[in-house]
Amino acid sequence: MTVATPFVIPTGIIETTARSRQLSIRQTIALAKRSTYEIARQPALIAPSMFFPIFFAVLSASSFGKTTSIPGFPKVESFMQFTLASTIVQGVLFGSVTGAAALATDIEIGFFDRLLLAPTTRTGILLGRLAGSALFGFFQSAFFLAVLVPFHAPINAGIPGALVMVLSGGIVSLAIGAIMSSVAIRTGSAEAVQGAFPLLFVLLFFSSAFFPRETMSGAYKRIADVNPISYLVEGLRALVLEGFTVSAVVRSLLVPTLICLAAILFALKELRRKLAAL
Amino acid sequence: MSTQQNTAVLATSIAMPTTMRSARGLAQRGIRNIRRLPSAFFPAMAMPVFTMIAFAGTFAAITRLPGFPTDRSVNWFMPLGICFGAAFSGIGLGFSTIRDIETRFYDRLLMSPAPRRSLIIGPLLTAWVRVASLCAFVIPMGMLLGVRFTSGLLGLFTLVVAAVGVSTISLGWGLGLAFRFRDMRGAAVMQLTMFVVLYLSSAQMPLPLMRGWLHNVARMNPTTNILRLAREGLVLKTSPDYMSWSNTWGGLLAIAGMATLTLVFARRGLNKLDK
Repeated sequence: MTVATPFVIPTGIIETTARSRQLSIRQTIALAKRSTYEIARQPALIAPSMFFPIFFAVLSASSFGKTTSIPGFPKVESFMQFTLASTIVQGVLFGSVTGAAALATDIEIGFFDRLLLAPTTRTGILLGRLAGSALFGFFQSAFFLAVLVPFHAPINAGIPGALVMVLSGGIVSLAIGAIMSSVAIRTGSAEAVQGAFPLLFVLLFFSSAFFPRETMSGAYKRIADVNPISYLVEGLRALVLEGFTVSAVVRSLLVPTLICLAAILFALKELRRKLAAL
Repeated sequence: MSTQQNTAVLATSIAMPTTMRSARGLAQRGIRNIRRLPSAFFPAMAMPVFTMIAFAGTFAAITRLPGFPTDRSVNWFMPLGICFGAAFSGIGLGFSTIRDIETRFYDRLLMSPAPRRSLIIGPLLTAWVRVASLCAFVIPMGMLLGVRFTSGLLGLFTLVVAAVGVSTISLGWGLGLAFRFRDMRGAAVMQLTMFVVLYLSSAQMPLPLMRGWLHNVARMNPTTNILRLAREGLVLKTSPDYMSWSNTWGGLLAIAGMATLTLVFARRGLNKLDK
């Protein structure tokens, strides 16, 4: 009778695996630093994503200031307070395209191929790039809050709520960055990434980002009801208008996190498909 | 009449048909480019439709505000969409001019004996054709979505006049910048300035319903008068903005003034390029 011996992984293999994981993390951090510096070094590219959302927020506050009295409009101190959440999402949508376009440029100019030739972690190439977008998303969210809150746009959830909004902004940026990176990996063209951007813009407009769903009717309301952007914005808006409640925190973090996970998995799948085709 | 005057009249009578012939040739080229490069013209067509549908749907509730001049949001936003499209029709020709300068095609035009003014009149004719096709596409679409002209054909006419005016202004601005920048940096400036000028007016809300700084800026912005001209046939008959001479002349004057300024800007830019 033979006795089954338990399967033991040799110590050498464990050490090698741990070392390679550490190396992967270091490489991902290095790539994340590169993508962050790349964004910071191109002010002409990021300026529109900082300037336009502020411009539209200020413009809307003046244009639609009197609409807050329309039946169905949530109770707000000012239209600026209502538009605070949509400004973050709008800015982050604009900004996250920059990172994905840079990934496509890497593919176009052959830098992506050089990374593949080097013993670099494959997922790190994508995650490093997305980390840059997420950091920029955090920065943008904090910037928009710092600029707009003093103009009659208080956050009822206070400083903890503002921190959650910044965190949520970063996650949204990560999610959109992952979606656009899938386009970049599939097409390998920065122009295609920029060309896909209007789709996001259309999604933003057919949501409750600029006006409450309660005031809409007919087909527009039905589209806004099924549009994920509506729920992204409304989660953040709950922190501004309702205060720091469990429901508001969960809504502001859960929706972007779920979209983010799905988007990253899809982007990784696209990356694996591209690697398999090489 | 002196011999000198006779010579001048003769030169003008020869130059005018030459100008128009050259301008027609350039206009035909511009129109042919719409067919050959539809991606360049597509945004100018898609944008007004998108603006009309998205704004009318999202901001439908603003018609419930007391004093709002129409009860249909699509009546309010269709003229805005058309003016945006007209502006981008003009600016699009600015982009084409930049491309021609970059590819050196413009050098060949400058070396030809074509009168200089034809280099501006040609694109102007193309811009007008673009606006005509834009109106022919967007207005029926708007009517399907519920647009009603409250003053009949006169309202349609003032809307088209406003659109042609906006395209003339934006063409002058686009060409002027193209001749000065001579590369695609100019394209960003063209788009940004047109966006800002259009938005800092009564684009989204009627003047009396605006608040704060924007009210003061929009009141001074001549684009507000052009938008009033575009909308006067679409608002309620009881509205003070309804079709009348007092709501028309301001728009016509704004078009004449701004078009003159931007076309002179373009002509002076062309002279600089020529040197």
